[in-house]
Amino acid sequence: MQEEIINTKNQAIAQITSVADVKELEEIRASYLGRNGKFTLLVKKIKEVPQENRKKFGISLNESKITIERLLSDKKHALIKSLTEKREWFDLSLPGIKPEVGHLHPLTKVLSDVKKVFNYLGYQVADGPEIETDYYNFEALNIPKDHPSRDTQMTFYLENGQILRTQTSAMQGRVMEKMKPPFRVLAPGRNFRYEQVDASHGFEFWQVEGFVVDKDVHLTDLFGTIDYVLKELFGKEVKLRFATTNFPFVEPGVDTYMSCTICGGKGCSFCKNSGWSEIMPAGMIHPNVLKTAGIDTKKWNGFAFAIGLSRIVNLRYQIKDLRTLTTPDLRILNQF
Amino acid sequence: MWKMTEAGLTCESYKKVGSETILDVEITSNRPDWMSIIGVARETAAIQGLKLKKGKEINLPKKSANFPLDLVPNFNLFERWTGIVIKDVKIKPSPKWIQERIKLMGHSPINNVIDITNYVMYELGIPMHAFDYDDIFGQIMTPELAKGGEDFTSVDNLNYKLPKDAIIIRDAERIIDLAGIKGGLNSGIKDTTKNIFLHVTINNPVLVRRASQALGLRSEASAIYERGPDKGGVTDSIKRAVSLVLELAGGEIASELMDLKKEKFEPWKLTLTFDRLDQILGITIDAKEVLQILTRLNLTPKKSGKAVDCIIPTYRADLKIEEDLIEEVARIYGYNKFPKTLPVGQVTATKIPYHFDDGFILNLKNLMASSGFSEVMTLSLVSSQALDMFEIKKENCVKITNPISLDYEYMRPSLILGLVTGTKMNKRECVKLFEIDKTFPGESYKISGITKGISFREFKGTVDLIFEKLNLKAPEIEFDSDKPYFHPSKAGAVKINGNLIGEFGEISPKILNGLDIKGDIFAFEFDIASLQKHKRVRNFKIVPENPPQVEDITLTFPQKTRIGDVLALITNHHSLITKTELKDIFKDSYTFRIWYQDPKKTLTNQEVEEIRKSILQKIKEKFGGQIKE
Repeated sequence: MQEEIINTKNQAIAQITSVADVKELEEIRASYLGRNGKFTLLVKKIKEVPQENRKKFGISLNESKITIERLLSDKKHALIKSLTEKREWFDLSLPGIKPEVGHLHPLTKVLSDVKKVFNYLGYQVADGPEIETDYYNFEALNIPKDHPSRDTQMTFYLENGQILRTQTSAMQGRVMEKMKPPFRVLAPGRNFRYEQVDASHGFEFWQVEGFVVDKDVHLTDLFGTIDYVLKELFGKEVKLRFATTNFPFVEPGVDTYMSCTICGGKGCSFCKNSGWSEIMPAGMIHPNVLKTAGIDTKKWNGFAFAIGLSRIVNLRYQIKDLRTLTTPDLRILNQF
Repeated sequence: MWKMTEAGLTCESYKKVGSETILDVEITSNRPDWMSIIGVARETAAIQGLKLKKGKEINLPKKSANFPLDLVPNFNLFERWTGIVIKDVKIKPSPKWIQERIKLMGHSPINNVIDITNYVMYELGIPMHAFDYDDIFGQIMTPELAKGGEDFTSVDNLNYKLPKDAIIIRDAERIIDLAGIKGGLNSGIKDTTKNIFLHVTINNPVLVRRASQALGLRSEASAIYERGPDKGGVTDSIKRAVSLVLELAGGEIASELMDLKKEKFEPWKLTLTFDRLDQILGITIDAKEVLQILTRLNLTPKKSGKAVDCIIPTYRADLKIEEDLIEEVARIYGYNKFPKTLPVGQVTATKIPYHFDDGFILNLKNLMASSGFSEVMTLSLVSSQALDMFEIKKENCVKITNPISLDYEYMRPSLILGLVTGTKMNKRECVKLFEIDKTFPGESYKISGITKGISFREFKGTVDLIFEKLNLKAPEIEFDSDKPYFHPSKAGAVKINGNLIGEFGEISPKILNGLDIKGDIFAFEFDIASLQKHKRVRNFKIVPENPPQVEDITLTFPQKTRIGDVLALITNHHSLITKTELKDIFKDSYTFRIWYQDPKKTLTNQEVEEIRKSILQKIKEKFGGQIKE
């Protein structure tokens, strides 16, 4: 029996000395000290040892185990030390195996960014109907029937006389007539216009309408808001300039030109060589719009603006053809 | 050029032709006065602070004869109607300078009288028309509304059927003019014309717009009428035209200047208060500068205390309210000189109407993307043909009455239509797509996913994952769906507490065959609002320190056993069962892996055995399942 201990011990020592790998060392540990290890089995054999030798057997077995454990631990340290001291060949240039993930649509990404920026400014998001009435889409916005500005917003009609909204501005009347100012509203969504489809026009497009009604809002606040938002979205280095324009639901009316983010203002096919992109039409809300919604224009006024979401996607990702956005082709979508 | 754009007269390019400059300008619908050379000149002068060259005052010679003509007033159709007869004119080509200018405007010169009417329109912005006086039968002109369907041949010899409510002028016998749009061939100027009637009408803008839209006939004149020409400038422009006729075509005046008008059409007063100006703009512009700007715009400002009274010339019909004057001051002052500020008002905590928190949708989108599905956004408009293929009843769909083409005639009733197209478009072996958007009618948001190239269980895993992440309370699966685009036996509906959440399963082989799509296509569509309503917050469970006992049990079942229900039974059987899985399927035998775990102690074999026995008992009773021998 005693002999068996010594043999086992010597065997272990021999194995431990010759091993060169931490993993193998762990296997050796298991084969001697693990649940079914040789020393563990020897411990179980103690019953077979005659009573008078048991103590000696026990002490000897224990000492051997301690020796082996120490050896194992020393060897492990030595092995790890040698691992960190010498360099071995490991090919980091091997290509990885990517996990299969899906991709969010670029419009989702851009809209999230836009919402985030307006969140900082205290705007709440409103979601309104795409099937609209002529009233909210036009009349409440100071665009009576047969107004020539309807020419730019050719409309789809439904059998019940309702229409598909041509602008998210339709949300102005809806919110204003239901809530007392002050409020700051952001209304994103799909719009529809009767337009022949080409690279830069689609009959479905995405827009984000924003409007503020409060006691003390000024044209300077509108300029400041546009400036803040576009610089947050496109970077501090973009240049902006404002021009007068006319929409029946604003007075004064503002058009925003941003230096083309693609060519940096030098002129390219995206900005029709002008170096500028028309990006955010806006203005101070026309008193007629406020009055129609029952808001006292002596006390309150406001501003409104619209952002063409597809335009932002198109400038950010340099997508020339808007039709790309509604094509369910993974070769396109997986780029985002 | 930028200065013009900044002030609202968008000017993107110009070119020089000889000594002339041609500006390419974009004119907003509120400024008919800019549709003329004088208007653009006035604007440029105001922007640059220059003086406008004034035209000479025109004094027409006295009439030398009296050719009778009876104009029947109708102020609903013509708010103003001004005309004059000139006799003994000689029709011939115009002199070169007029011809050149007409050509530069993109038109062909015709003869001196017609070229003069066009030229004066471009110059002063008021359309006019010349008739052959001798072709006005009965010397009477009556404006009236077309009944619809009348034949009309225009001066350029084209035939039209008139739309109802177009404004027409009749003489004693015939329709001689489609007012505001085109003159008639029967009364037009010919080479042989001797006497002419020259007139300006201020037409009802709405009626002109409707008629020109109905005929698909848009001209400079109709565009000016829709916007509303200068009602006060009528006599000046007719005088200008008459003097040109006398100069270039000879002849003598043969009637009074007839002028039928509803009202005087004189300049009006409009007041701007400095307080309001400051309030809207957010800056204080020096009173002197405000007056200067208004003077440059020819608005004759007069300061009275804290306000300025202006007199608005008739060509500025767009200036109706104080805010219009505020814009005038701001735009000439220069938008780009304004400081930039942010609103100082309070942000309300009250939820706005139509408030929409898309956090839930965004979470679902992220869950789908991390499950390998790519997001698509397809068009909301679908074709009648697609609905037929999907066997969707059209009477329940929202139809566009004026579709752009038959490919886009209906609002989509399901997102699955677009997704199926996506599986066809993508030629790769494995395709996973999803979309979250509205369906019609109802405009309720849906989440829909589709897969190609994976097994039913792999597809179903995503459905299970959505339910698990939302911690939905026991979704019930019905082996039946009323959606015709699903497979008759391999699709069903999901309900919670009896409320329909949506459907999932295999797409109908008929559709796949029709679209020539190969392989199994699985899809689901769930209602977002229902998911949101039934989602539950998951309570945190302390992770037990004692190891679980894990065991596999293989059972056989009779045919048509709902294994999902068996699994649910095991999971819910005992509180010490913390997890179950279907490990393996082989023919009619199913291997379930069961985790038994007590948070307080390590379970003994005996305790596990008791639970197992009662499970097997239940399964046998309910499903007839047996331990595999």
